[in-house]
Amino acid sequence: MTTKLLNDDVAGQVRDVFQGLQEPVEVFFFGAKENCVYCDDTRQLVEEIVELSDLLGMQIFDLEENAETARQYNVDKVPGLVLLGRDGEQLLDYGIRYAGIPSGHEFSSLINDLVLVSGRDSGLDQETRQILAGLNEPVLLQVYVTPT
Amino acid sequence: MVLAHQMALESPMVEAEMIEAMEFPELATRHGVGGVPQTTINDGAGMVVGAVPEPHLVEEIQAALE
Repeated sequence: MTTKLLNDDVAGQVRDVFQGLQEPVEVFFFGAKENCVYCDDTRQLVEEIVELSDLLGMQIFDLEENAETARQYNVDKVPGLVLLGRDGEQLLDYGIRYAGIPSGHEFSSLINDLVLVSGRDSGLDQETRQILAGLNEPVLLQVYVTPT
Repeated sequence: MVLAHQMALESPMVEAEMIEAMEFPELATRHGVGGVPQTTINDGAGMVVGAVPEPHLVEEIQAALE
């Protein structure tokens, strides 16, 4: 029996936040068998999170063995997560990814992101939406964070 | 809430990756990461340090694309 990463208090709080979930969300986890210190913990963490709602699912991949899938979703780091909308059999890739374990502050970010993707609405200002709608070339935003 | 992820959800042209800097030190060094959060736009075409308001990040994205 593996020790839980989320204690009962935290699991309860996350369940409360997940009351706001609307549409299904699928999390793709990418790991590696070697040279990945945080893969096991990240995988377990996401497993425990998706267990807290019927609207959440998870699929597990290996960066090398599932190289084609990794390429398709632009994943090149482990542990890697992709948050996808699920509409029946169809998966909606918005380009929302995590590289590294989402612990500390990033844990809250992940929980909130799941609710965000579930709502299928960015919640951004109207002006921002208009500017983004006018983009005609790809934009890659890489947000560096630390776990504290 | 992650602003960059909100933008990715909004626009099919935007992808956003949150990176734990200490697990990927080489990449963080290449992008000159000092303070966090730091947002790198298109592999160095632009950069924003700190958690900035929505209009600020939009401006930086526009500037990086020019």
